[in-house]
Amino acid sequence: MSSRLELIGPQGLRTDGRRFNELRNMNCKPSVLSQADGSAYIEQGNTKCLAAVYGPREARTKAQVLHNRANINVEISLAPFSMEERKKRSKSDKRILEIASAVKQTFEPIIMTELYARSQIDIYLQILQFDGGTVQICINAATLAIIDAGIPMKDYVCACSAGCIDDEPVLDLNHLEESNTPELTVALLPKNDKITLLQMESRLHIDKFQQVMEMAAKGCKEIHTVLDKAVRENIKDLLKKSSI
Amino acid sequence: MTFQFLSPKPSSYTNKVDADGDIDMLLKTERENFETKVVTPGETITHATQYMGGHGTYISPETNQRLSSVAGVVDRVNKLISIRPLHTRYTGEIGDLVIGRITEVSQKRWKVDINSRQDAVLLLSSINLPGGVQRRKTEADELQMRKFFSEGDLLVAEVRETFQDGSFSLHIRSLKYGKLRNGSFVIVPPALVQRCKTHFHTLPCGVNLTLGLNGYIWVSKHTTQTVEELAIYSNENEEIDQENREAIARVCNSISALSRHFMCINDKMIMLAYEASLNFPVKDLLKLDVMEVITSEVSEKMILLKAGMRR
Amino acid sequence: MVKEFESSINEKDFILQGIKEGLRLDNRDIYDFRQLGITFGPDYGRSEVTLGNTRVLAKVSCEVMRPYQDRPAEGMITLSTEMSPMAFPSVEPGRPSEEEILVSRILEKAIKRSRAIDTEGLCIVANEKVWSIRVDIHFLDHDGNIIDAACIAAISALAHFRRPDITVIGEEVTIHSIEQRNPVPLSIHHMPICVTFAFFENGEYVVVDPTLQEEQIRQGDMTMTLNIHKEICALSKAGGTPLKMETIINCSQIATTKAKWITEQIQAALDAEKSKK
Repeated sequence: MSSRLELIGPQGLRTDGRRFNELRNMNCKPSVLSQADGSAYIEQGNTKCLAAVYGPREARTKAQVLHNRANINVEISLAPFSMEERKKRSKSDKRILEIASAVKQTFEPIIMTELYARSQIDIYLQILQFDGGTVQICINAATLAIIDAGIPMKDYVCACSAGCIDDEPVLDLNHLEESNTPELTVALLPKNDKITLLQMESRLHIDKFQQVMEMAAKGCKEIHTVLDKAVRENIKDLLKKSSI
Repeated sequence: MTFQFLSPKPSSYTNKVDADGDIDMLLKTERENFETKVVTPGETITHATQYMGGHGTYISPETNQRLSSVAGVVDRVNKLISIRPLHTRYTGEIGDLVIGRITEVSQKRWKVDINSRQDAVLLLSSINLPGGVQRRKTEADELQMRKFFSEGDLLVAEVRETFQDGSFSLHIRSLKYGKLRNGSFVIVPPALVQRCKTHFHTLPCGVNLTLGLNGYIWVSKHTTQTVEELAIYSNENEEIDQENREAIARVCNSISALSRHFMCINDKMIMLAYEASLNFPVKDLLKLDVMEVITSEVSEKMILLKAGMRR
Repeated sequence: MVKEFESSINEKDFILQGIKEGLRLDNRDIYDFRQLGITFGPDYGRSEVTLGNTRVLAKVSCEVMRPYQDRPAEGMITLSTEMSPMAFPSVEPGRPSEEEILVSRILEKAIKRSRAIDTEGLCIVANEKVWSIRVDIHFLDHDGNIIDAACIAAISALAHFRRPDITVIGEEVTIHSIEQRNPVPLSIHHMPICVTFAFFENGEYVVVDPTLQEEQIRQGDMTMTLNIHKEICALSKAGGTPLKMETIINCSQIATTKAKWITEQIQAALDAEKSKK
């Protein structure tokens, strides 16, 4: 087992200097790629992710065509230089496929696919640097990219992780923390507070469960403000450029 | 239907009449609520139930409010509210002029990529036969479809009809439509190309311009004589001299500069950009700083022109 | 590729209407599990579980192997869940479908990541020899909720399994056969139990242990893995209809009761098996 780590120091600060309810530093920018219909780049702490959305466009294979709605296709790839050890990760790694499937199922009820029968929406996510929180950053990046592509969605989908260190709920875990404490990832629709994705892999007592979930939901709302601000700034920018 | 991002009009106008001739029926206060309002998905557009919802809006089943489903600007025509996102795929209407590339040759039809949600369809019955022959297409024609158009060919066509699932059917039953040659291809976001009376322009620098409403643009050599009827499906390019090639390249790069800065594309703007670019050699036009200079010049000139028009 | 058999629109409406009124086709309550049957095979580590019409078989085997380099003093557990066309006619053999990946990930999280089995106790000689436990799960019949059935099968098989006894003298390891010495059970920390919920009508109606027909009309699903100590070992709600937080908390309470009941059933079956021997 790993040696005893002090995840919360004596002054109540975590290993990266945050308090228990602080999100990591977040930077996001939509419309970063010129060829994709929609794209976004997000940084949450040291985790960096790039998302590209193509669509709705002609479906690639006849087998994937659905007669009454659009087919959503998600592919995630982890760059070989993203982790501490340079290793080429295969695309059919079960963990990555599971995250891709979770992202796809998260967006299926949110994107209005009934408007685009027989088309395909492709979401490509590339993790450039990994420091914990893969699922949450993929969902946040995909949300921004889909909005940038002009594909109608019922609401933003914001995701955040929370955990429990020394019986206290903490927000937004990095890689060190998520390997040693139970981590709960929550994806939320900020408008009506409904939860679309819930994932946890380690043991957490049920009495703590509600507190941790509520903390993650609060984190999602904060992330929503950051994403919304970025989208609005981008639109105002473009409006300024195009109005003559 | 014009598509423009307009700045708020001065309040000296008593009766607001927009480009279509519709008179605004709303109170001044309500009108101001909506002008250039930016909304994001999930945001409430309005609480009032009197408005009808167009594209980009939906009614939340729980609260019965009208919410936005895309990020964009509120576009209101009397009682109809819709949201225009800034980057969309081309959504066409009957009569639109589009440029497309053949992706597939199937039975009695071609599939054409027009930067839309699905590939458009060009039926064998919608094309002209070489030589101006007017007859029904036989099975022999079906077997020789590749003689007319094969995969990768560029063509300019008009939208004939739209199907329920959102795909289009094109036709090229006119001599000005058909296969494109002698030029260069540029892609811009479809939102930037406005609808005009004509989409075939000849620029004073001696270059032909075909603006497809789907964001595909063809810049070609100016030909004075019309293409012979027998050669409408030929794959041969004519001889193009150095001066013409430079002019074509310069126009292409000016269009890319305009699209990068999200400025609308029509023949006037392209001419202004072309003139502004004459100061630089053609290959420098792809540099970002040079593009900045050109586009700022263009926007200045447009402001002057608009101010001149208002007076 | 054979398409999955779907019920007609009439049938789907009928089932949905019944659920709205709290009635299910097999006369169960909405929070009830189906009839759970656990039988153990003639050899150690083989268990067959029937949950209504769903049948899953789990078989545990062990082998001595080299440990992983980054975990030199721990044994290994491998889970294999291949979906064959026997239970899933629409699955192509060889290509893992999306559903299979989800099922195998949930079971892995439930059994491996939650540290249900003591892996340090599987170490024989650190850095050289450890026990590698392999659990093969075979789906024999699919009538909904294969995840719960597979989890019960895997856990009961692991609890029933006996590995050969070994003696270590210095560097020499002797593996005693079953006749020589009594085989040793695995040390199990806790028993993780999966409870699957299905949601209908935008999260308003919940059903526990859905049948295949109910699974086809569901709008969302969630699998909670808990143990009898009221710890949530894994949670997976991957998309599907968005839910209110109260619904999730409610489900977690229901899942605790169900997990307790299932653990008691497994324990009773194990005890019955032991007294038989």
